[in-house]
Amino acid sequence: MDPQLFFWIAARATGLASYIALCLSILSGVALRTSVLDFLAKNRQLRSLHDFMTWLWIPLGAAHVVTLVLDKTARIDPQDAFVPFQVGYAPLQIGLGTISLDIFVIVIVTSWLRRRMNDRLWRWIHRASYAAFLALFLHAFWSGTDFDAPLISAVSWSAALGIGLLAVSRIVFGRLPE
Amino acid sequence: MPGWALKLSAVFITLFTLAGSFGYASAHVKNVNAPLQPPVADRPAATSAASTTASPIPSIGPLITLRPGVRPPTVTPGPRLTLAPGVRTATLAPLTFTHTS
Repeated sequence: MDPQLFFWIAARATGLASYIALCLSILSGVALRTSVLDFLAKNRQLRSLHDFMTWLWIPLGAAHVVTLVLDKTARIDPQDAFVPFQVGYAPLQIGLGTISLDIFVIVIVTSWLRRRMNDRLWRWIHRASYAAFLALFLHAFWSGTDFDAPLISAVSWSAALGIGLLAVSRIVFGRLPE
Repeated sequence: MPGWALKLSAVFITLFTLAGSFGYASAHVKNVNAPLQPPVADRPAATSAASTTASPIPSIGPLITLRPGVRPPTVTPGPRLTLAPGVRTATLAPLTFTHTS
């Protein structure tokens, strides 16, 4: 297979896979503070899953960015991965993915430094994950090459709706004590 | 459900998505309905001054060197070709000089 073709296919595959892994990570994170998934597992298992999923979606997301940088047709420069709205075409659609990546990097780094941080500050930074996910979903919706495929569209919308329902349930039913 | 089963299920779902998406993308390399279509042909930075003035059809140098006073060989038209129904004509520039003797 031609390397450029491989980069293009791998970028699309890792993009969707990292999206699904990230959805599972957020779902398990939101479920920690609600009782919606109590039938599935206890909080300790959900917390373990939430931490574990980070090590799944980070390499997949990194592979998505790296393969797009290597793909000459996509014309993504390395700085475009961290500085939004700099791409020569579709700056908003691609920039939303960049913003999402930036926020998630901050959320992850602050999670690793949680013990050294103010707990209130850490919570507010962690809540930025919702905004990051919204930016990620819009990025996938507006720029995803395969988003119009029925199966991929159904999976993507279902995962996003699941997160939306859990977020609403958390708002309506309140936050459970830690 | 135990914690290891949750993790195993998550890994399976992620890898299944990765493999399925890879297979789908391999089978549908080009999507004409994709929302983003990077401009390929009209990138100004990729063209240099030399390449913009170059002819898209490579030129061929003289095949024979004539001495002074010698007339070049005349090209006599050959018989016209009749193509079979399944054969299409190409869009390349026609060959006007096929052999020398």
